[in-house]
Amino acid sequence: MKSLAKKQNNKLITSIAVAAILLLLPIILSVTGNSYSILVLGFIIIYIIAVSGLDVNFGYCGQISMGHAAYYCIGAYGSVMLHHYFGIPVIITMILASILAAVLGAIVAFPASKLVFHFLSLSTIAFAEIVYTLVLNSPGKITGNAVGMFTDPINIFGYTLRSNTAFYYFGLVVCAVFLLVKWFLVKSKIGRAWIAIRENEDAAEGMGVNVVKYKVMAFAFSAFYTGFAGAMYAHLVNYIGPDTFTMKQSVMFITMMLFGGTGSILGPIIGSMFILLMTESLRVLEQYQMLVFGVILLAVVLAFPGGILGVVKDVIKKIKLKKGGVKNVVRN
Amino acid sequence: MLLEIKNLCLSFGGLKATNDVSIAMEEGKVYALIGPNGAGKTTFFNLISGVYKPDSGTITFDGQRLDGKRPYQVNEAGIARTYQVINLFKKMTVLDNVKVGMHTKLKSGFIQSMFHTKSQQAEEAAIIDKAMDLLAFVGLKNHMNDLAGDLSYGQQRLLEIVRAMASEPKLILLDEPAAGMNSTEKVELNVLIRKILARGITVLLVEHDMKLVMNIADHIFVLNHGQKLAEGSPLEIQNNPKVIEAYLGGGAKK
Repeated sequence: MKSLAKKQNNKLITSIAVAAILLLLPIILSVTGNSYSILVLGFIIIYIIAVSGLDVNFGYCGQISMGHAAYYCIGAYGSVMLHHYFGIPVIITMILASILAAVLGAIVAFPASKLVFHFLSLSTIAFAEIVYTLVLNSPGKITGNAVGMFTDPINIFGYTLRSNTAFYYFGLVVCAVFLLVKWFLVKSKIGRAWIAIRENEDAAEGMGVNVVKYKVMAFAFSAFYTGFAGAMYAHLVNYIGPDTFTMKQSVMFITMMLFGGTGSILGPIIGSMFILLMTESLRVLEQYQMLVFGVILLAVVLAFPGGILGVVKDVIKKIKLKKGGVKNVVRN
Repeated sequence: MLLEIKNLCLSFGGLKATNDVSIAMEEGKVYALIGPNGAGKTTFFNLISGVYKPDSGTITFDGQRLDGKRPYQVNEAGIARTYQVINLFKKMTVLDNVKVGMHTKLKSGFIQSMFHTKSQQAEEAAIIDKAMDLLAFVGLKNHMNDLAGDLSYGQQRLLEIVRAMASEPKLILLDEPAAGMNSTEKVELNVLIRKILARGITVLLVEHDMKLVMNIADHIFVLNHGQKLAEGSPLEIQNNPKVIEAYLGGGAKK
């Protein structure tokens, strides 16, 4: 009992420390005169949300999506266009656009739920291409086609998030909420059903899980996250164009997810941070980005399928095993 | 009648895998389905559990028509099953495997789960006790935090059975539960099936181990070439010349 209290105490101290660092980060960065870094932090948050969504679909439910850029795109363009054409306040358009992404995700998922792995990945790529092509060649140029669209910053009840620092704090709160909801869901009946489907679809159905319904649910939920991330991106950068929403974006999401570790809360956080910082620091190699991603993906799949998180878990497990008995090994 | 199957037929191309089979089962008994290899036993199981849709015929369970229903709906109606090949969720813990088995009994939906409401928390806390109780029933309580894939073969078979029991079924279908078990484990299985029955769950099992079947079944159905060859008590089946012929081949006739 004593050790349990101590453990909880340690957890509390760690969370307070992490929270303090996250809150103070922009101040530290602005003192050192590195304001661009705050923008990068904003991007990291956006990617964490997008990749966390993708992870629900792949890591938990076992459905691959090679075209999540489509939902990122729908979230971004949806929010910007709703604001631009109908004058709806930006924060509401972000939610509406994410719901739209979720609905389209569900529509794609319904027939796709009957497909096995490689056919599913093909159909998701096809959907992403359709969305990209529509944005690039929209009827009446409502998306601005190749020219793109200018966007307004996020406005919450009259307060406009003009600075990157303001966006960072907004993103931090949103990200915390999204991660918490994901945590609640994956630990519930819903999450167990998703994992059961990933592990053994026939047995899941035999245990009373409506497999099609839960697959569609995972897909829609995942699309909502990625859609919201897209909307956040659109209102952060002041301009969106179709080039952001190509296959390259989908591959980036997948690389981040696999690199960090699938089927977890921490994995997408680690993966997004690492891959984004890497691409930012390797700007010179931008034209080789896909090549770098390809190499990383291969390395992960072949050498450490659990991602960075899997490697860390293995190391901790080994240390604990050495220390004392199998019984103390904490899973998950 | 708990389960009443009338004139059930299913063909795969030209092969009549299940041909005009009718059976009826009462509550509170152990039934066994036997037959030579390829007789269509597993196909028949898959028809009851909704994996296959019958071409014709009816399945009535507890006053409810089940033919054409999907497997998850059959489970909801109160029929749970195990599989011939172990079909556990290998990377989930033993406890979580049982919790998945309780899926249909949990009332919390997406919204309650998403916001982690009080009622959802209470429900989650309550099922842990129930799951532990079930695991204790087959002696797997000490393994509840192990991954299902790490259990021994015999333990995995037991977990399959409790996972099926977790949905509180009225009828449990056991597809070759003794396959791969040693003689001690088979004796334990015999006891376990009696205990399942004592919990008010009717049992239908497919099994090749005749000693086990003759020992435990109240009533036996014999399938051959997709048709029902005979049915009756173990004693009647043992002395049925048609059954002996099917098992030993026509040459055994004197």
